Amino acid sequence: MKKIDPLLALTTAALSLPVFAGNPPTEKEISLRASSYKEDDISKTSVLSGSPERYKIDKTHFRLLTPIGSNWSTEINTSQEVMSGASPWGTFSGSDEQPSLIMSGATIKDKRTEVGVSITNYQDNASYGVTLGTSHEDDYKSRSIGLSAGWDLNNMSTLGIGFSFSDDDIEPTDAKKFGRIQQAKKQTRSFSVSWTQIINANSLLFSGLTYTNKEGFLSDPYKLRDTRPDKKSEWAASLKYRIFIDSKNAALHLNYRLYNDGFGINSHTVNAEWHQNISLRWKISPRIRYYSQSQADFYLDADDFSLPKTVNQSSDHRLSGYGAITAGIQANYELSGWKIKVGFDRYISDNHYGHDSSRYSHPALLDFNLTSLGIEYKF
Amino acid sequence: MNYLKQLILSCATVVVMGCETVAPWDREVLARPEMQLSTDPMGDALFEQVYLSKEASAGGYKTAGGGCGCN
Repeated sequence: MKKIDPLLALTTAALSLPVFAGNPPTEKEISLRASSYKEDDISKTSVLSGSPERYKIDKTHFRLLTPIGSNWSTEINTSQEVMSGASPWGTFSGSDEQPSLIMSGATIKDKRTEVGVSITNYQDNASYGVTLGTSHEDDYKSRSIGLSAGWDLNNMSTLGIGFSFSDDDIEPTDAKKFGRIQQAKKQTRSFSVSWTQIINANSLLFSGLTYTNKEGFLSDPYKLRDTRPDKKSEWAASLKYRIFIDSKNAALHLNYRLYNDGFGINSHTVNAEWHQNISLRWKISPRIRYYSQSQADFYLDADDFSLPKTVNQSSDHRLSGYGAITAGIQANYELSGWKIKVGFDRYISDNHYGHDSSRYSHPALLDFNLTSLGIEYKF
Repeated sequence: MNYLKQLILSCATVVVMGCETVAPWDREVLARPEMQLSTDPMGDALFEQVYLSKEASAGGYKTAGGGCGCN
């Protein structure tokens, strides 16, 4: 490596090392990101009725981060999603016991608008932040507040805590026509604690723990039969490891998350990313992710209409036991404060990939492509 | 929950074992963009929402924040 001027190195480190809570941003950042999410169609042999065409979501996200004076910063995020496609209404067991789907028509169309504003105050060895957010869809409205704080300890580590509260209103479309619940509420309270530790001059470790409590209507109002508990607690613990490898001029990112909730689901998530510097302007980052979850206690391979509606049951594929693999790559190009990012990821899932899979592979398990293009400017 | 206890214990062990003291002027590598916990906040937000709405798990890194009809 080339020799670095110590004063420059010190300045760079002090200004941009986020492991320290007390460092405010020094530049304005303005960013725009467009992404396209497209699920593969379901096999027609698995669909009893409805459309095999699944969801497509186009998203546009705008972000502005700006310092205010020397001790404050604000961040504004706005995004809009346009969704269309069909989703599963119910799951039935065929003569061979293999589950088949009742799908909606491919006429579902919705738009989601989200706005979030954060303000952060920076002290010598600490930071304190408040975030207000709102999300609006035709059938779902959410208002949220988040509080966070971070403290630098012994100049080598940072302790962070957070709390968020969300108050949501659910108003399913065509509720009277299909006998769905007409109005419902959901509240979410979430707590987090984290510790970031510098291990040596080339590596650091983040460890985090979150507890989330959800109360209210937690079922899927669009399914023919879906009854879930009205309370759910979620625990998740995570590790993030970062190491820079001088000989390769690259950084390796390793993440792990362990999750457990009151529905009886536990999961493991492992991520690995390789951030390769090609030149001063070009960077390539291949990445891979493995995910595996067990099924919910009340998950059924097929809907059971003989059970009373008060008995918990769901055949939602997201509550089944399965595994998934995501592989992707992102290219970054940087020039005079401008940065362009292009990414592509492919996600495939199957019950054979999981550590504690359901008996049958759910026909609605997803495969999808996610493509994104972003432009950022610092000034 | 046994998994959680083991994970917390492992993390605590790493911290307690002690790490090399790194002076501020030796933190040039740690300050590089590719060494940050989040190198792409907008990309992270995108993936977080996709996985939140298509899988059963969430959390671990920060609080849940606001809700959406996607899950």
